[in-house]
Amino acid sequence: MNLTRSKEWWIDKAVREQERTIAAGAGDLPGAHASTAISESAPGENRIAFGRFVSLMRRNRRLTVEELAEKAELDASELLIIEDDVHALPEPRTVFHLAQFFEVPQSRLMQLAGLTMASDSRLTQEAVRFAARSESIDALTREQRAALEAFVAVLSEASSNE
Amino acid sequence: MTVQVSEISLPNRQSGQSAQAELRDAIDEQPLLDWMTRWQPFTADVLRDLAARGVPKSQWPQSRHWNWGAKMAEVSGLIAFRGFCVTCNGVTQGLMRVDLTPLAREDTQAGKPLVYVEYLEVAPWNRGDGGRTPHYGGVGSALIAAAVKLSIDEGFRGRIGLHSLPQADGFYRDTCGMMDLGPDDGYQRLRYFEMTETQAQAFLREEAPE
Repeated sequence: MNLTRSKEWWIDKAVREQERTIAAGAGDLPGAHASTAISESAPGENRIAFGRFVSLMRRNRRLTVEELAEKAELDASELLIIEDDVHALPEPRTVFHLAQFFEVPQSRLMQLAGLTMASDSRLTQEAVRFAARSESIDALTREQRAALEAFVAVLSEASSNE
Repeated sequence: MTVQVSEISLPNRQSGQSAQAELRDAIDEQPLLDWMTRWQPFTADVLRDLAARGVPKSQWPQSRHWNWGAKMAEVSGLIAFRGFCVTCNGVTQGLMRVDLTPLAREDTQAGKPLVYVEYLEVAPWNRGDGGRTPHYGGVGSALIAAAVKLSIDEGFRGRIGLHSLPQADGFYRDTCGMMDLGPDDGYQRLRYFEMTETQAQAFLREEAPE
């Protein structure tokens, strides 16, 4: 494909853009592609709990986002999105690395992240409780740490559905 | 396959000067390296800044989760999918992947083949996120021009279609003059836009002689 136009033609096209935002395609927005393993019906509470879980686990280990990214071999921008954006769907590879790093079962973290269908209603219930108890503030409080430890215990239990 | 390169010009919105750039009909290794080593760190900085300033997430870049490496890997070797990029000063400024298999929907051309723009994104420094001044202008228009030209080359008479991210609706409707067919229930209710043969001719029309 070859497209020949004058310099003025290209500049005129740019001027007409008026600094508007330009992007097309839903791609990785939640539920965009049927070909992915993304669960469209993943409970929102799970997703909130996933972001909180990653944030609190990181802070509990006194790591910055960049430090966690480096240690877990992940991209810092994706971690930032996971912690801040409940609509974000992480890459399966990311969840795999987080499960390894935090030493929790990968399959249950995948469910929590909304990447697989919820098969364990108790995990969802506990995720709701955890999300409600762990609302983010700057310092990790004793209550938050207790909530985190309790949830890690639930996450690590063997599920009857697995 | 030989990569075709079209010489284009982009205005540098910060300096007011124009710059020579290239529109390439392939996404090979270098653009993906740029995405990984330049786009992603820049995006991370933008997100940190937006988060720190309490900018609502509705105003964050809606393509922030995109993974161009995965997008190109999944269609590697498939001739129905093509990649395009814009480079300037040796750095990738925009990326686009198109699919030649979908059919047109608009009443006057329904069922006819078109070039469907699956993904189009400009480099994060070319966006005005959070009130920043974009670096280069015209990157999105250059990629749309490439899609229209490919459509003509393929015998599709310039017909193109795409689903717009909500922040970009105005660009496709007002700047490109595309038909707005409304929210698509089958695609996250993103608005679907189509360019007809007539609209394509207008979009690619060369300057009238003085």
